[in-house]
Amino acid sequence: MRSRGRILLYLALVAGAVPTLLPFVWLVRSALMQDAQMFIAPPQWIPDPFQWSNFTDALTAQPFGRYFLNTVVIAVISVLGTVLTCSIAAFSFSRLRWRGRNVVFAVLLSSVMLPYAVTLIPTFVMWQELGLLNTIAPLTVPSWFAGAGGGVLNVFLLRQFFLTIPFELDEAAYIDGASPWRVFWMVVMPLSKPAIVVVTIFTFIGTWNDFLGPLLYLNDEEKYTLSIGLASFQSIYITQWGYLMAASAAVIAPIIALFFFLQRYFIEGVTLTGIKN
Amino acid sequence: MRRRELLALAGLVPLAAACGNDDDGAAENIQLQFMYWGSTFEQKAVEKMLKAFEQSNAGTKVKPLFTPDEYDVKLNTLVASGNVPDVGYVPMAMSYRLAEQGKLVNLFSYLDKYPQLASYLPDAYLWYGKDQLHGVATANEIELLWYSKAAVAEAGISAPPAQASSAWTWDQLVENAYKLTVDQSGKHPDESGFNAGQVRQFGISSSITYAAAWYGFLRSNGADFADPTGTKCLLDTPEAIEVFQNLQDLIYKHRVAPGPGQLAATGDDVPGTNILLKTKRVAMIVDGHWSLLDMNESKVDYGIGVLPKYDEPFTTSQVAGASAVFAGSKHVEEAIELFAFHIDPRYVDLYEQGLWMPQERKYYEDQAAIDSWTKNDSHPSEFRTAVVDYARDHGVPDLRGRLKNLSAINSDVLTPALQEIETGKRPAAAVLKEVAPKVTSRMQGWHHTQEL
Amino acid sequence: MAALSGQHRLSGQRRLERRWGLLMAVPAILGFAIFTAGPMVASLGLSLTDWQVGGAPSFVGTGNYTALADDELFWKSLSATTYYTLGAVPVSLIVAFVVAMLLNQRVRGLPVWRTIFYLPTLVPAIANVVLWIWIFNPDFGLLNSLLRQGGLPTGMWIYDENLAVPSLIVMSTWAFGNTMVIFLAGLQGVPQHLYEAVSVDGGGPWQRFRHVTVPMMTPTIFYNLVVGVIGTFQVFNQAYVMTEGGPNNATLFYVYYLFRKAFRESEMGYASALAWVLFMIIMIVTFLMFRNARRWVYYEMAGGR
Repeated sequence: MRSRGRILLYLALVAGAVPTLLPFVWLVRSALMQDAQMFIAPPQWIPDPFQWSNFTDALTAQPFGRYFLNTVVIAVISVLGTVLTCSIAAFSFSRLRWRGRNVVFAVLLSSVMLPYAVTLIPTFVMWQELGLLNTIAPLTVPSWFAGAGGGVLNVFLLRQFFLTIPFELDEAAYIDGASPWRVFWMVVMPLSKPAIVVVTIFTFIGTWNDFLGPLLYLNDEEKYTLSIGLASFQSIYITQWGYLMAASAAVIAPIIALFFFLQRYFIEGVTLTGIKN
Repeated sequence: MRRRELLALAGLVPLAAACGNDDDGAAENIQLQFMYWGSTFEQKAVEKMLKAFEQSNAGTKVKPLFTPDEYDVKLNTLVASGNVPDVGYVPMAMSYRLAEQGKLVNLFSYLDKYPQLASYLPDAYLWYGKDQLHGVATANEIELLWYSKAAVAEAGISAPPAQASSAWTWDQLVENAYKLTVDQSGKHPDESGFNAGQVRQFGISSSITYAAAWYGFLRSNGADFADPTGTKCLLDTPEAIEVFQNLQDLIYKHRVAPGPGQLAATGDDVPGTNILLKTKRVAMIVDGHWSLLDMNESKVDYGIGVLPKYDEPFTTSQVAGASAVFAGSKHVEEAIELFAFHIDPRYVDLYEQGLWMPQERKYYEDQAAIDSWTKNDSHPSEFRTAVVDYARDHGVPDLRGRLKNLSAINSDVLTPALQEIETGKRPAAAVLKEVAPKVTSRMQGWHHTQEL
Repeated sequence: MAALSGQHRLSGQRRLERRWGLLMAVPAILGFAIFTAGPMVASLGLSLTDWQVGGAPSFVGTGNYTALADDELFWKSLSATTYYTLGAVPVSLIVAFVVAMLLNQRVRGLPVWRTIFYLPTLVPAIANVVLWIWIFNPDFGLLNSLLRQGGLPTGMWIYDENLAVPSLIVMSTWAFGNTMVIFLAGLQGVPQHLYEAVSVDGGGPWQRFRHVTVPMMTPTIFYNLVVGVIGTFQVFNQAYVMTEGGPNNATLFYVYYLFRKAFRESEMGYASALAWVLFMIIMIVTFLMFRNARRWVYYEMAGGR
């Protein structure tokens, strides 16, 4: 009885995993193929021959080493800023009572409802006035203000999560004379690892794959990021399929590793929530 | 110094350190910025060209502003904030407007001083008013009939002619396309039992939605997009309808052409003309001259023919974006020199490698000059007649550089209508008669043109 | 006496919370003021002008807004976007929830499974698009190849006016990883003792799901719903890169149309008006969702805070 349930569970997982993985497998096999083999019908799955040179050629066609470093710097600064300031804001909006709180929160939230296409030029002009074009400031500084703009969703996400943590914990701490900061840092944050990890992953991937931001704000090729490097394989006249696929595979490898590493904190989250009750 | 401040701020992070050396001796150096798009391949060629320019103009430095995608977004932002480069590519949809807004230098008054500027093909020039010249198309590009030599040999037909004078008629094209179309069991569309769902090799592919692909046909059949005033759309004339009906028939009546989504004539579509010919998924494809680079890179056994004709043979030429000098440049003269330099085959590899065709007239008329860019491994023997002569004598300039407001016309009404033809929902006549008045209501005339 | 000091302590607590509450909201409020409010007000101002990038704006009042009413493509884009949202949001919520439930079981190799299901979200947009063009290609694409092998009817997918939007819904559902991750995080927050309580009362898996998982997950579901609707209303990339709004405007999504106006034609004034109309629409929809949320979203000590 129980084992039949297990088998069903694994069957369901496999059934879900196959369509999920299929396009991804295609990405990898294309990365190892010559252009002509990629488009044979019906599709072929095994590269013949294995075109390993796609990887070396693609990764040397652009200074990907430098782009990698540039991207890491931007991503790390953004993740730190977002996690810290968004958690602080979410704590205020979920667990501290102050007049006008919900109105302020609603106003903040409204910023994600305006398409970025129209705020883009005013924002650009603002950074120009600040003399910060062609620096990473426009790409990183907003994240230190609770991820201004789209980052407000992280505040929302954390707030939703904080709301599910029992308020008795806060009250007990306050009775012991704790300050709100202490409650935030010592009570709420340690219980919110799953949500923090989610915000970390989202922010990291968002910055990692962001194309328009670096493209607009950076002018020197030495400052370009991975996504700009990727885009150069697809131009108006020419698409270098093998290179594009190989470089894409290489670009996502670090974030796959990051995700694989971080997702274990979901499990840790379980044990903690288990203990607290 | 504003620039130093910038660098100081940027210097907070190590990755910006490398740009510090730009400032060395900034006092006597002239600094230009060149904005462009392109593949990694073009990127290398352009950077090489910029280096050559710096070498032949001591004291001048050119900073490349490479923008592989979202070019119009970036350029709009730069325009709005007054940060435009000195020289660069400008998408056709934007170039006329920027010129009218005074954002591009009127090159007309410099034609005397820089004779090279006055030596381009007449169709290359982009005028926005009398004696108002805002640039030239970056390269001359034309549409051709590419084919797989192997597929043609297997079908036992004669190859598409490489000379305009002997171009196939439309009927000849269809007839040969039948012979080149084979399903999985080796049957042709005119044989019984032909399985249209299992076609191994299509005879021909020619885009219905990409204007450069059909404009030559339109002109060849005595039709045009608009009347001489440029305020009335003529796509509902019998001649125009015939052209589009013929294109639709290739797919649905003759079944010799792939349906939408399988065309290669626009760069975004998978997988590209070179691959389609190499794998013989399609035997003949109407596509631009620029495919030559891809063909050679992926070692396709290709041949080049001229397009089929109705009456007089025509092909679309000048299928490229604009290049221009931006107003507000501190060094206009140097910028104009760079402008002439960046489309000079002596300094840019892209001509020899097959991606670009020159704009200077002599490269189509003077034997030594023709040889200088075509006598090499990248250019097949038929290139001379099928491309050089064809472009010179039978090119009609692409609508994008000629008709006002075309970008909006295309995206708002024309492309959706052409997609209806392409999907075979309704015959061409019904669609075109409905859309022509809508196009007319958005038309604002032809752009100005004049002799030098 | 005791009651009085209790009250005193409480108001002290209130003061403390108010002070700290404001202080801790400062970064977010500043960020909004600097990086959002300014550009937003600017775009509202621009929507009242005929500004073309590069030119000088002149005031046209509500001209752009009245022009919208007669703009066939505005209505077309609104309906295409609504259609897409109504399809994409529920489908991806359900898929993500089901997979999250599966992954919340005691499964061998859990990290691997989680990573597999998250992979699609990691693929860079540019590669993703190429990938799906290939999948949907009617001729040599994966989808039709599989259907043919199974003897099933094939389709023209994104090249068919009627199938284009459903095809894009499938494509967007594929990248359900973000929604799934949030569900997973939420599922981990469901206290074990509640499940145990149901089990002690003799409840099976269905009762545990029905009476513990679902109610405890409502805040998370609500979050994903709101974020999904807001995000999906602004769907852009697929129309921009894959279909260019076609065929025959079937996938002319609102923000793609806006983007085209803003950057192809540089009609920034008109585009700003389009943006503000969408802004109002999303505001109203979100407001309705929040108002409706009281009926079904369960919070720890709901109402108390």
